[in-house]
Amino acid sequence: MTNHNMQSPTQPVTARVSLPEAKPRYMRGIKEPTREEWCLGILILAGLIAFPFFDPGYRFLSLAVSTIFTAIALYGLSLQFGQAGIMSVGHAGIMGVGGYTAAILANQLGLGFWESLPLAMLLSALAAAVVGLPSLRVGGQHYIIITFCFCALLVIALTNGGTFTGAATGLDVGPIPGVFGIRFAKLDNMYFLCLAALTISIAVTFAIVHSPYGRTLWSIRENEPLARAVGINTNLHKIGVFAISGAFAGLGGILQTYYLRHISPELYGAFPSLYLALMIMLGGARPLYGPLIGSIIVNFLPELGGLDPIDSRIAYGVGLLLVILLLPGGVSGGLLSLYRRGTKTRHRLEKGRGLS
Amino acid sequence: MTQLEIRGLAKRFGGVQALNGIDIAIDGDGITGVIGPNGSGKTTLFNTIMGVHKPTAGQVIWDGRDITGWPAYRIAATGLVRTYQQAMSFPGISVLDNVSIGFEHGCDRAAPRRWTSPESLLGFVGLDGRGDEIAGSLSFGNLRRLGIAVALAAQPRMLLLDEPGAGLNDHEALALRDLILQFPGMGMGVCLIDHDMALMGAVCSRFIVLNFGTKIADGTPADVLQDRKVLEVYLGEDA
Repeated sequence: MTNHNMQSPTQPVTARVSLPEAKPRYMRGIKEPTREEWCLGILILAGLIAFPFFDPGYRFLSLAVSTIFTAIALYGLSLQFGQAGIMSVGHAGIMGVGGYTAAILANQLGLGFWESLPLAMLLSALAAAVVGLPSLRVGGQHYIIITFCFCALLVIALTNGGTFTGAATGLDVGPIPGVFGIRFAKLDNMYFLCLAALTISIAVTFAIVHSPYGRTLWSIRENEPLARAVGINTNLHKIGVFAISGAFAGLGGILQTYYLRHISPELYGAFPSLYLALMIMLGGARPLYGPLIGSIIVNFLPELGGLDPIDSRIAYGVGLLLVILLLPGGVSGGLLSLYRRGTKTRHRLEKGRGLS
Repeated sequence: MTQLEIRGLAKRFGGVQALNGIDIAIDGDGITGVIGPNGSGKTTLFNTIMGVHKPTAGQVIWDGRDITGWPAYRIAATGLVRTYQQAMSFPGISVLDNVSIGFEHGCDRAAPRRWTSPESLLGFVGLDGRGDEIAGSLSFGNLRRLGIAVALAAQPRMLLLDEPGAGLNDHEALALRDLILQFPGMGMGVCLIDHDMALMGAVCSRFIVLNFGTKIADGTPADVLQDRKVLEVYLGEDA
């Protein structure tokens, strides 16, 4: 190993100790978005804001609303799976906890959307943390099976919950109370409300990924024993990321409930959960826009391709196989590497021109 | 001064007695080598000290505190840090992020930092300019350096190195020797396991020899290597 700036072992240790004057790079909290990241973010946001103005029709606009609240829940899963490396197929169940919290509060106590919102997110976070407890003892596929069982159990519990959960027919909720005269019964306004929540979700995800906490999550994904060996309480951070993931799911779940104005157990079973896992794999779990892209693909593909439910399941299956084989980072990961290759070629071309 | 004391440490895996009541006292300012044939319990000793395995019996006293059975992360935070033989780094992320993780955790925060930034630490182990590379793409020798850097970033007061020289060529082993020799002067005790006797002989002021989970010799390298029991273990009964 190179011997520059080294001293002989006999020199006193104080010679090496110097306190940092400026805050070193590793401590500087959240990394600022680069210009590229700002541009892409603004472009995507502008596109999503503009969408309703192109008169997409009721069918496409409601698909877009579904896409967005699903994407919000997926941002939680992307932190848990993409950053900390722990997959779950119980995420729809956690959405259900949020949705049912809101619906039960509305039916039992007459609370509206805005009062239930923090409670729904909190309870979802708690539920996710509790469901995550087995992950401290088992990992990988074994944990996935446990989350699968959680969903199955949740559906059984909700179906047998009598009038409290509305049994198999579920519960109805009223419209979201208007704010500043904006009525959310109107689909456009519901779309913008969901979009606002999505924007916050993406911003929070970006902040987490680019903070020291994000690196802590990576260390769990990359090498858990080593993470512990350098002083990281991996168990605590795993439960922590489950709770954060659960809060996102709760937000998605309550928006879904108030968009459908109704909630029923079959929305939150094992199959919807598998769809969420499918979306995150298709879209890509790590790039910032992976969850959004995954949600768009799965929600819009049957409509755009004219596929019936059976056909679309086959298409998803084939798509998943193709993505796993050809684009391990999902569609967004593929786009990202294509872009990077593009810019590299451009740099090379410019360099070449400069030399000639 | 004794900083790490192990009293009657025992670890049993089912029918296998991996550690059989080991007593060791390690100074905070020296380099102690743990040697022994394969399966003699060297790595199990490290794992049991560091909270990876719960000991069946015995105590680990670090810095006057009984840390027996503490979880690994808590032990690391008190300044006792280890490296792994195989899984040295966080392979999928950048070299700089690897070291930053160590910087952001571990260490008693009151202790003065030996390096002001992850970059300067990378320079110290000879990985300057490699910060943006993905750790998994480094050569084996550089991966070993990174593994040590990740542990150093946690600001240890004692470092347990598990076969840092395994798989290194002669040139890399020499560089490793120079690196390890600097640690005591920086206020870091070292305890290391390795099979490379050239390396061990060059850095260690003391050898501890294990065989079948029992300490059979403990002393200066010269004394230990002439010990009858040690020669029997390494060279056979008739040696």
